[in-house]
Amino acid sequence: MLSTLIWLPILGALTIPLIPLRFLKLAALTISGLGLAWSLWIAINFNLAEPLLQFPEFLPWLDVLGLNYQLGVDGLSLPLLVLNSFLTWIAIYSSKEQIERPRLFYSLILLVAGGVAGAFLAQNLLLFFLFYEVELVPFYLLISIWGGEKRNYAAIKFLLYTAVSGALILAAFLSLVWVQGAESFAYEAVMGNALPAWLQIVLLGLILVGFGIKIPLVPLHTWLPDTYVAASTPIAILLGGVLAKLGAYGIFRFGLGLFPDAWATLAPGLATWAAVSVLYGATVAIAQKDIKRMVAYSSIGHMGYILLGGAALTDLSLVGAVSQMVAHGLILAILFHLVGVIETKVGTRELDVLNGLMNPIRGLPFVSALLILGGMASAGIPGLVGFISEFLVFQGSYAIFPAQTLLCVVGTGLTAVYFVILLNRTCFGKLDNAIAYFPKVEWNERVPALILVLVIFYFGIQPSGLVRWPESTTAAMIAAAPNLPSAIIAQPPTPTLAADVPDLIAQ
Amino acid sequence: MTTATLNPPNTKIPPSTHEFAEVIHRLEAGGSMLPDTPENLMQIIGIYKAYAVPMDFYWRDLLYIAERVFLNPLPAFKYFLPQEYLDLHNHYAGDTADLRIWRGEATAHPELLEFMAKGEMKQNLPKIFHHLWHDRINMEFAEECMRAMLWHRGMGGQFDPYLDTDEYKANADRAIRAYFKGNPIMLGLYKAFPDMFYEQVRQLSYYANLGLFWEIMAPVFFEMSDIYDEGGFKGVPDAMNFLVNGIFAIAGRPIYHHVYIDGECYEIIPKSKGFTWLYEAALPYVEAVFYRTSPFRGTKSYNAQANQVPSDQKDFHYGILYADVFPVGSAGIPPTLLMQDMLHFLPPYLLDYYKQYCRGDDDMLIQLGITFQRSMYNVTSAVIQALRTALLYPLDDQDPDHLMANRQFFEAQMDRFKRPEARLRNIQSQDYR
Repeated sequence: MLSTLIWLPILGALTIPLIPLRFLKLAALTISGLGLAWSLWIAINFNLAEPLLQFPEFLPWLDVLGLNYQLGVDGLSLPLLVLNSFLTWIAIYSSKEQIERPRLFYSLILLVAGGVAGAFLAQNLLLFFLFYEVELVPFYLLISIWGGEKRNYAAIKFLLYTAVSGALILAAFLSLVWVQGAESFAYEAVMGNALPAWLQIVLLGLILVGFGIKIPLVPLHTWLPDTYVAASTPIAILLGGVLAKLGAYGIFRFGLGLFPDAWATLAPGLATWAAVSVLYGATVAIAQKDIKRMVAYSSIGHMGYILLGGAALTDLSLVGAVSQMVAHGLILAILFHLVGVIETKVGTRELDVLNGLMNPIRGLPFVSALLILGGMASAGIPGLVGFISEFLVFQGSYAIFPAQTLLCVVGTGLTAVYFVILLNRTCFGKLDNAIAYFPKVEWNERVPALILVLVIFYFGIQPSGLVRWPESTTAAMIAAAPNLPSAIIAQPPTPTLAADVPDLIAQ
Repeated sequence: MTTATLNPPNTKIPPSTHEFAEVIHRLEAGGSMLPDTPENLMQIIGIYKAYAVPMDFYWRDLLYIAERVFLNPLPAFKYFLPQEYLDLHNHYAGDTADLRIWRGEATAHPELLEFMAKGEMKQNLPKIFHHLWHDRINMEFAEECMRAMLWHRGMGGQFDPYLDTDEYKANADRAIRAYFKGNPIMLGLYKAFPDMFYEQVRQLSYYANLGLFWEIMAPVFFEMSDIYDEGGFKGVPDAMNFLVNGIFAIAGRPIYHHVYIDGECYEIIPKSKGFTWLYEAALPYVEAVFYRTSPFRGTKSYNAQANQVPSDQKDFHYGILYADVFPVGSAGIPPTLLMQDMLHFLPPYLLDYYKQYCRGDDDMLIQLGITFQRSMYNVTSAVIQALRTALLYPLDDQDPDHLMANRQFFEAQMDRFKRPEARLRNIQSQDYR
């Protein structure tokens, strides 16, 4: 069942070069649409009460290496899996009709989709690593062939950083397996609880830095602005929406999951690191003059909330962190899509040139309106999905790390600041009559943003649709870590609705 | 753009060194501020046609409000023209004309009647539904023009000073008493605050003034459109000269304000006062509406500390000659009302023309707005040439002093377009659309 999600796109990637040119996009859309439908079907059949792996698959492969084809999905990976299928479809839809070398383009995107799905599903460290590395070259090509200015520089930078990230992760995995003398790389076999504390911390450090590059966390982020800016719109959507989530997922699954004790020890540092990331991303975004760069830095800031939620390790904050991954994926996708439309139509991304795009006839009113919505969602305005996830994180973390949480709240304020700057300069004001002869925005260019905005609204108003998936899994992850920061503070047991019901009936 | 007019028309006086020397030389050669190209001619005539149809409604309704609705404190149905005002004979069209400018019907234009009956919805619904669905002529625009004339006041002529005389007040007084006869509340109010009612009557006199102005412009524009369709005009100067001749032919038509109450006519401004069209309606209108109007709420801040709006009314520069048409369709941009009205009556050749450029159907409102701006530069050129004819010397005068006087007049007129907002520079090029 789960294999379909991996192999459907990959087989699609292999067959798509055989399809006639004019059906190419349609074929790619169909394949990714089937993938999306399949992942939704899995979500429907997903048992919400079951914290452990579901739909497991096992095929012995290379026993000598301890590498087996071992898949499974739980509440942590399921939302991301669906997000991946969804954003792949959106990215393909939002790619230009007349793209150069379309066969390679769509093949690579589908390959990436299969690889990412594989990484989310893999329950074997080596298998995860394989899928993780599969992303490397396709993304390098996607950036360097179809990118904008400075694409070669950006692509090389991306390649080097990601390769180092892979190397660190591999080092961590190998050492973990070797020091434990484990038979295979299977996930359950290598829980690091038994190791001495210092070794746990070292290995966790390796994992944090390895995935921290991918997320990215602050000192490791310098590839991101260049890469996001140089990448074309659909690629930026995939990079920001999906690949960054792979990093965050990796940290949770392999950092927190394998080394809960070390995680608990490092938690205060992680929370501080998160606060620094949030504030750094926001303040640097304020200084930008290029709207795509602003969005890129906003991404750095928003990934900080995920780390904060993970560090606090309460039920609420961890659910918040997973929802934030999804929320950020959706919001970043809509922002990159709209920025892409604006760049195509207006021909610039400069904050000093753009103006008056809200003009109902000569401007891009629909795109501007959606951009405002996207900006508000990103800044955490209630009613939109960004607020839900950020509020869950803050509510869950405040009791554990009040200072860091408050700093992150300041970061949300700063997010509002740079989005208001962005919207004010781009959407409001007056069109420059000398340049304001933009081509019109076709309906099919609006559709991806429209779909995204509906999803953003839906989860913002009905958040249970988003947060119910990870609840049981995150609760189990917390239960697995006895030495929790949340345990430091004696908390009264949270009354649950289910527990209260008998009392109510008795009354 | 034609290059023939780049050189001064004669060598009796040295070339102008004015910023708009090229335009001034063209005016001296008998041309328009608008370059003489077939494309420009097609655009301005087409838009005259599209403008004249709603204008045919405007003038009828303005007169209806001035003469019949009068001081109605709740004029809820003032935009619902009764049949008699649709049948009202235009004094300058049809067989009964005083001076036949347009060869067509004297009653309301057939396209207007069709639009009023069916509207954009193309359905025969009661008038009230068309009105509530906003499927109608934007009469508010005409009232806004009227209010600009009222509020700017004092732009020359005798009409405006007359509104403050005792004679005017006495005339108004009779009409007010007759109108509110048997209505003690309103009569009591009138006794308590007479000036409030006089001011309302002044406004109604301006309704009549503008209505009488447009009663002439509508047949002029219809006739120009017909002449163009017959292949009559050879270039933009021809179209301008038709306007100049029209202005002189009509200059003496009386401007008055009559009110009809219970079948009786009250002459608030009698024809015998001798107010004439050119000096009491046309020139104040051009000054008030083409040049000045009032700052758009969506463009300028009325904040007194920001000093964005001039303190002197003579410095106002928000008329169509200066307007930025690109934000048409946004909130706070009054000309949108007119552009929306004209959109319903575009001739097919303009529709086809707009479809080829920019966003085609999607931004027609702005494209036609810019065409309208071009055409109003041509109308203003006609007014400038008419003034020059009336006050100064012919263009083919042999006396260099006379030519110099003409030159100085033109230069003084062009000085008003030195402001950065003036669109004179833009309309010289076809890229501005």
